[in-house]
Amino acid sequence: MINGYLSERLKNKVTFFDELAAPDGTIREHWKKLSQSYEALGLQKMEELKGEVSRELRENGVTYNIYGDPDGINRPWQLDPIPMIFNHDDWQLMEKGLIQRAELLNLILTDIYSERKLISKGLIPFELIFNHKGFFRQADKIKIDGEYQLIQYSADLARGPNGKMWVLHDRTDAPSGAGYTLENRAAMTRVFPDMIRENEVRKISAYYQRLKTTLTKLSIHNKENPRVVLLSPGAANETYFEHAYLASSMGFTLVLGQDLTVSDGYVWLKTLRGLEKVDVIVRRVDDVFCDPLEFMGSSQLGVVGLMESIRQKKVIVINPLGSRILENPGLMPFLPLLSRHLLGEELILPSVASWWCGQKKEKQYVLDNLSTLVIRSIYRSNENPSVYGGELSKKELEQLKDKINAHPYLYAGQEMINSSTTPSLIDNNLEARNSVFRSYIVADTEKGSYYVMPGGLSRSSSIQGVFIISNQSGGISKDTWVLGPAPAETNGAKAAPIILQQVKNVLPSRTGESLFWLGRYLDRTVNTVRLLRIVFRMYNERLNDPNEESDQTSIILFKSLGMLTGAISDLSLIDKKDLKKNLEKELISVTTDSSKQGSLAHSLQLFLSNGYAVRDRLSLDTWRILDSIQEELELMKANGNDLQKTYHNLDQFIIKMMAFVGLNSNNMTRASSWRLLNIGRFIESSINTCTILNAMLSNNVKLDVDRQLMELALVCNESLITYRYLYRSTLQLPEVLNLLLVYENNPKSVAFLIDKIDENLAHLPSNHTDEGSLSPARKKLLEALTMVRLCDVNYLVTLQKDDPSKKELSNFLEQLIAKLSQSSTLIYETFFSHTQSQFSFVNRNTMPEV
Amino acid sequence: MKFQITHNTRYEYPLPASLCHNIVYQVPGVYDFQQVHKFGWQITPEPNYLANRKDFFDNDYIYFSVQKSHQKLNVEIKSEVEIIKPVWTDFLPQNTKPWEEVVAWLHTIEASNEIRQFYLESKHITFIDGIREYALTSFTPGRPIMQAMLDLNERINKDFKFTPGFTDNSTPLADVFTYKKGVCQDFAHFAIACVRSIGLAGRYVSGYIETLPPPGKPRLVGADASHAWMALYIPEIGWVEFDATNNLLVNDRHIRVANGRDFADVVPLKGIVYSGGGQKMIVSVDVKRIEG
Repeated sequence: MINGYLSERLKNKVTFFDELAAPDGTIREHWKKLSQSYEALGLQKMEELKGEVSRELRENGVTYNIYGDPDGINRPWQLDPIPMIFNHDDWQLMEKGLIQRAELLNLILTDIYSERKLISKGLIPFELIFNHKGFFRQADKIKIDGEYQLIQYSADLARGPNGKMWVLHDRTDAPSGAGYTLENRAAMTRVFPDMIRENEVRKISAYYQRLKTTLTKLSIHNKENPRVVLLSPGAANETYFEHAYLASSMGFTLVLGQDLTVSDGYVWLKTLRGLEKVDVIVRRVDDVFCDPLEFMGSSQLGVVGLMESIRQKKVIVINPLGSRILENPGLMPFLPLLSRHLLGEELILPSVASWWCGQKKEKQYVLDNLSTLVIRSIYRSNENPSVYGGELSKKELEQLKDKINAHPYLYAGQEMINSSTTPSLIDNNLEARNSVFRSYIVADTEKGSYYVMPGGLSRSSSIQGVFIISNQSGGISKDTWVLGPAPAETNGAKAAPIILQQVKNVLPSRTGESLFWLGRYLDRTVNTVRLLRIVFRMYNERLNDPNEESDQTSIILFKSLGMLTGAISDLSLIDKKDLKKNLEKELISVTTDSSKQGSLAHSLQLFLSNGYAVRDRLSLDTWRILDSIQEELELMKANGNDLQKTYHNLDQFIIKMMAFVGLNSNNMTRASSWRLLNIGRFIESSINTCTILNAMLSNNVKLDVDRQLMELALVCNESLITYRYLYRSTLQLPEVLNLLLVYENNPKSVAFLIDKIDENLAHLPSNHTDEGSLSPARKKLLEALTMVRLCDVNYLVTLQKDDPSKKELSNFLEQLIAKLSQSSTLIYETFFSHTQSQFSFVNRNTMPEV
Repeated sequence: MKFQITHNTRYEYPLPASLCHNIVYQVPGVYDFQQVHKFGWQITPEPNYLANRKDFFDNDYIYFSVQKSHQKLNVEIKSEVEIIKPVWTDFLPQNTKPWEEVVAWLHTIEASNEIRQFYLESKHITFIDGIREYALTSFTPGRPIMQAMLDLNERINKDFKFTPGFTDNSTPLADVFTYKKGVCQDFAHFAIACVRSIGLAGRYVSGYIETLPPPGKPRLVGADASHAWMALYIPEIGWVEFDATNNLLVNDRHIRVANGRDFADVVPLKGIVYSGGGQKMIVSVDVKRIEG
C-alpha cells in the first residue's frame, strides 16, 4: 500500500513536501518502521482498523457540532488512523520555537495592557492595536501576579515546501482541541497499541496534569482547596463535547454563564446548597461575551460583573480577558523585530509571510497580489471570515479592494502556504492530503517556563489539494505522534505525584434543573412508548375490521394517547370518511414528528438535550446509550410512514431507555444529582399513570370493552403479571385500581412513586426550609399520598346508570394530578428559582431646551 | 464661576429585581480651569458593593451593585464645581497652525498614544459617505486649525436642526447626516466624525451646561439634562472644546464630566438588572449658579 502511495505521488508530480517520502521517493527514516507495519497489515485490514477507531470514538461519544447544519448537532468526530509524525530532532526545534514564541507573545501582551512602550517606540504600529476589537480598554493595567499573563497558548503550524515549519495562526483567547486530542490518543492507543509502543510515541498526559496544576495554583485567595470552573457557552457550541470531557477528566465544575453570579465583588456558583465561591475560571467563552455590562451588552453567555471582580482580584480568568489582541495576523510581520528587541534572540519559528495593510508599501503589495493571497481581518470573527483571493470573482475582488482601501489597517494579506502532505486513509486508498498541526502550550508558573504538549491535534483537508482547513468546514483529524525518547526531565516529573485536591462535589442549580427534566422526559418517553405500542398493536390487529368506527376500545385508546401526549387532534374533528387513513396519519405524527409538542420524537429530543447538558455528570457508558438512542431516533425518523418498522423502533427505545435507567442506578452515587433525576422520573410517572387510568378506566362502556381496557392499562403499567399473581382472578376494576394506585409494595403504584419522591426530596440539601418543619413541596406530597392511602376503591368505581363516565374516579384522579403538579412546581421553585432574565439599560442623553 | 450640580436618575421596574450591576459616569473631572469643591452621592437602596474607579481615559466612575430585592433604584450625584476661563480663549484662532501640519504630526510616534487614539473610528463614529467633503469645506488648504474648526462648528449649528426625539442611541450617524436632525449627542458625534475623517484628533465630552432662564421667568429646576460637545486637539494649546449645539467656543459655563471616543465610552448610567423585564426611567439634572 505504501508503494502505491509513492508511485501515485510520482505519477501526479505532486510538488508538496511530503511527510512520509523524500522527493526521490524514499521513505523518511522516522516513517520506516510504521510503513512496514502498514504494509504488513494491508489496505483492507487498515480499513477495518479505521472502522474500529471510528467505533471507539463514537462509543465514547466524541462529537463535534457544526453550526448552520440541521443535522450538524453532535456530528461524530472523524479521525484518520494514520497519524502525523514528528521525529525527535524536528520536535526539539519546534518545542524550542513554540516556547520562545509563547514567551514573546506573553511579553507583548503584558506591555499592551500596561505601559504600551512597544507602541510608543514604534515597534508595534499604533493602529494595529488601538483599532483591534480585541483591545479591551476595560482590562488595562490588570495583571495576574507573576510573569505570566498568557497562560494557555496554541499555534497552528504547517510545513512549507522547504521542509521548515511555519506558524499559520496564533490562538490566545480560548484555544480549543486539547480534549479531542486526548480522545484521539485514547482511541489510537486502543486500536494500535503495538505501533505506539514500538515507535516510542511520547505520552501527552503530562500536559493535562500541568494545566491542572497551573490553573489550581493561580487561585489568589483559596490556596488550599481552590474551586476551578470551566465556563462553556453551552451544549449548542461546536466543541461542547470537549468542554464536558475536559471538565470531568480534570475535576473542574462545568458551568454556563447563568450558573455564576457576582456579588460583593466575588464570583459565586449557584448550587443546590446555595452559593459557593469560585476562584479560577477557565473560559471557553470568547472574551467579548464574558461580561455584558462592560463588553457586548446583548451577551447571554457571560457573567455580569465579572470584569469588576477581576479588577478587584477576587477571581482569576484564564486566558485573561483581552488576550485576543494577539490573535492578530497583522502582528506577525513585526514579531522578528520584537523578538530581537524583547528577547535578544532571532525568532525560531517563522510566521507565514504576512503583510499588514496599515502600511503603505505593504498595502500596495497586497492589492497588487490579491488573487494569490489569503486576506484576513486583523480581528477574527464569523462576520469577517478569511478569504482566498484566488477564489473570488472579478467583482468580488473589486469589492475586497474597496474594503481594504476604506480601512487598510483592519486587514492583512497572507501567503497561501502549500502545507505538507501526509498519507490519509480515504475510501480504501492511501491519499496524500495537506495537513496542519495545532500545538498546545501552557505556562508552568512553578518552574517559570512554558510547557509544550509532545503531540497535539493535526487536521488534514477533506478534499485533495485544499489548504484552508478548519473543523467547521469539515477536516479530518489526526493524532500527532512525537517520537521518543522523552527527555529525562519529563520522566522526573512523572515521579513527582500530582496532588489531586478533593474538591467538594457541587451541583450547579442549572445542572440540577437539567437532571430533573432529564428524569421527567425519561419517564414520559417510556410511558409514551408503552402506550404507543399498545395502540400500534391494536391498530394493526384491526386493520381489516370494517366496523372500527364503532370500536370503542380503539377510540378510547386513541383518546388516552391524546391525553397523555397532548399531541393528537380532537377525534371528533377527524374526517370520518377516511378514518383509517387519517388515524394512521395521526399515529405517525404523534410518534415521529419532533416539531409537534408532546410527540414521542419531541420528548425524546428533550430527553437527549437535557442528557447532553449534563454530560459531565454521566458515565462514559451512559453517553454511549444516549448516543444510541439518538441514532435510533434518526432511524425512526428515516422510516417515514412504515408502521411496522416504527413499531420495531419503539421496542428498541424501551430496551435502550431501560439500559439508561439500569446503568444510572448502577453507577451514579446517591448524591443530589441522582436524587433529582429520580424525583423527575417519579413525578412524571405518577402523573402519567393517573392520566392513563383516568383516560382508560373511567368510561361507561360495555363490560367486555372495560375488561380489555383494564388489561391494556395493566400492560401499559407493566403490572399484568403482578395482577395475575396477586389476584388470580378475572380482571376487576377495584383490584386493578388497588394495584396501580394504592398497593405500596407494587413499585409501579402511584403510592409507591409518591413515597419515593418524598424520600429523595428528604435527602436533598435542606437549607431552604427551617429545621423540623416539612417543606411546602413535601407537605403537598403528603396530601397526595394521604389521598391515595385513604381512598376507597369500591366507592370510586360506582357508576350511575346514565352517567357517561365514572365521575368519582375521574374527580379523584384529577385532584391527585393537580396535587402532584403543584408539588412539582414547588420543588422547582425551591431548587431552581433563578429564572429572572437579564436586561440592560443605558440612559439617554437629552439636551436642554435652549 | 461656581455651580452646584444635582444629577438624579430614577428607575422603576414593574416587578422586583433581585440584582443589578451599574456603572455611573457622573463625576466631574479636575482640570486647571475646573475645580471640584464638593462631591457626593446617594444611592437607594444602599448598594452592597461600591467602588470608585478610573477608566482607560482617566475618567472617574462609580461601579456599584445592589443585591437585594428592589423595585426602584435612585441614583443622585451632587457636586460643587468652580470654573475659570479656559486657556484656549486667549488664543487667536487665525494664529494657530495650518491643520495639515497637525495631521502629519499626529500620525507619527511623536504624538502620544493617548492623543492618537482619538483620530480612529469608534463605535458611534464612522467615516460615512460625504463626511470628509463636509469637513473639507471648512478645512480648506492651509487654513489655521482653530479658525477652520470654528467655521465647521458654525456650519453644523446652522445646517442641523435641534430635534429632541428624532434620534436615539442606536441611530446611525448617516441618518443624522441625511436628515440633519438630532440632539447634542448627535451634533457632537458628527463634529468629531468630521475632524477624524480628515485625520485630526477629536474626542467626545460629556457634562452639563448652565441654562439661562428666559427673561422675567424663574429658572426651572430639573429642566436640564446632561449635555455633550467635542474637543479638538491643537498641539500648542491642548484639547480645545467646541459646542456645535450652541455654536460656541466653550467658555466658563460648561462643566465637564468625562472624555471618551464617543458616547459609548462615557454613558452617564448603564446597568444590567435581573428582573421580569421592562422599566421606566426618569432623569433630571439641575445646574445652579451659586455665589462666592
